[in-house]
Amino acid sequence: MSTPTLGASALRIFDLSLGQMLWSRRSVFLGILLGGPVVLAALIAILTRTSLGAFRINGAAVGGATIFGMIIWLLYIRFILPILGVFYGTSLIADEVDDKTITYLFTRPIPRSAVLLGKYLAYLACTVLLVLPSVMLVYFLIVPVGGGSIAAAFPSLVMDFGMLIVGLAAYGAVFALVGARIKRPLVVGLVFAFGWEPTVLLFPGYLKRATVAYYLQALVTHEMPQDSAVSLLMQVFREVPSVMTSLLCLAIIVGVTLWLAGRAVEGREYVLEQ
Amino acid sequence: MTTKTRYFVIASLLVLGVGLGTGLVAYYVGFPAGAATRAGGPEELQYIPHDATVIAFANVQDVMNSQLRQKLLQALPMHEAGQKEFENQTGINIETDIDRIVASLNPDPSNNNTPGQGLVLARGRFDEVKIEALMREHGAEIEQYKTKRLIVVTHTREGATDGRYPSESFAVSFVEPGFVALGHASLVRSAIDLHQGGNNPQAGLSSVTGNDELMALVRSLDSGNVWAVGRFDALASRARLPDSVTSRLPAITLFAVSGHINGGLRATVRAEARDDEAANNLRDVVRGFMGLAKMQAGSNPSAQLMMQSLELGGTGKTVALSFMVPAEVFDAVGGALNKGFPKNH
Repeated sequence: MSTPTLGASALRIFDLSLGQMLWSRRSVFLGILLGGPVVLAALIAILTRTSLGAFRINGAAVGGATIFGMIIWLLYIRFILPILGVFYGTSLIADEVDDKTITYLFTRPIPRSAVLLGKYLAYLACTVLLVLPSVMLVYFLIVPVGGGSIAAAFPSLVMDFGMLIVGLAAYGAVFALVGARIKRPLVVGLVFAFGWEPTVLLFPGYLKRATVAYYLQALVTHEMPQDSAVSLLMQVFREVPSVMTSLLCLAIIVGVTLWLAGRAVEGREYVLEQ
Repeated sequence: MTTKTRYFVIASLLVLGVGLGTGLVAYYVGFPAGAATRAGGPEELQYIPHDATVIAFANVQDVMNSQLRQKLLQALPMHEAGQKEFENQTGINIETDIDRIVASLNPDPSNNNTPGQGLVLARGRFDEVKIEALMREHGAEIEQYKTKRLIVVTHTREGATDGRYPSESFAVSFVEPGFVALGHASLVRSAIDLHQGGNNPQAGLSSVTGNDELMALVRSLDSGNVWAVGRFDALASRARLPDSVTSRLPAITLFAVSGHINGGLRATVRAEARDDEAANNLRDVVRGFMGLAKMQAGSNPSAQLMMQSLELGGTGKTVALSFMVPAEVFDAVGGALNKGFPKNH
């Protein structure tokens, strides 16, 4: 019997892992995380149509498209994308190790890297299928606020979808590598996503190129909100690479980190604690 | 894949499909999201000709009764002469007789060197007999147009080429009780045509409500008691500006300004740039000015409040700036100006 190819093996693992990921306890957390913006959008939509009148920031009325842009920046780009990457990406292999089920996968006649690749694809499908409908609902609830036009803002929604898929892919790949190589991947992942990335983006220089957010922010069509002094600093030192450069760099990040993660899984000896 | 997972994937793809389909149809057909909630803009827009380059609206009663105007009147008790002059000429007291006005600027087909012809549609309480008598005293003539009386004042214009209306004429017509159209005679006639025939593009009679570009801007405005939208490029091309100035103007195609006047002023300025790059350049310029203004605000609390309210937004080709001018700023300006004016006794 011949050994299945990497692609065929990865698809089999994908099929197996998608259901596990969707119906795990982590998905409850994911549901709350993605339900939050929808509830917030529904509240804004109801209040602006009833008692509140126009939605105001510092007393100035803002339109639905602007509020949608702020939600994309503050909730999805700065919080939801990195946190999904950290929680799901770092656990792709770590969960199997913790559950002591990695042996069952590694004893199958498939390449070890196919396990990681299949699980990564399952993560991507799971998060994309949850994040995009959430953004879609927020869009239809928020954009009409203040007489905003769904038609006019539609191209930016399509670009947002593309940006979110690329962001989920990049963060997932980076944290898959962290999960495959490092012993306490969750802590390292959280420090990277909420310590390293926001900090280096505040300073001028080349250091910010060692982040995913730097390239991802170039794909965002909405204006960065000026919600705090940190945001103001980010704007002052914000260098925006071109869309093509960003897409190329993010593709390289995904490719290289997945390859390194695959190599780490292939070469590493996992000792299960008894 | 289990049945439960399959159902989830189908449901998720269904939500995405329906959403993207709706958005796509909206994008190509062009129906606004607000269609379900409001048609967009005041009803007077249906009497403004289709080729308007600028439309403006003011809720005159709101503005006249606003705390801001009362404060400004106390601080600067002057500039009543223009208002009095208008009342002497037309018999209309702006302060008490007019509820709201909608104005437009349309291209002048006979002259490319002017910004255009103006039309004002006002709702309120008008003494038609008094106004007509006053205007006749000032040389106006009465003309019958369809079923309406037109009070026309004619000025001879040098180099006029329009065979039908050889000179520039200003006209007033009471289109319906409490509703007056005033402005360039040809536009007042068009307003009467639209009032009687309705929007009928097939018959060559169409109102600005069929101008998707401007109406999209009108619908996108936040509720305010004053606003204006228009084509910046059309205005700039007719303004006969020197090349040195024209080349430095930002590449803006459309603009929208909306404000709410009461105790202070809350406003949003939106510009539609030629392309994404022009919009990014404009945002950079505005951001620079915002930074400078925030530094200049210093320790003045009212100026700080105003600067904190500055909010730059917009996506793609749209650049939007929202701000609030608190009443304290007007108090300070009024106080400073008052020192320069002698008190009226």
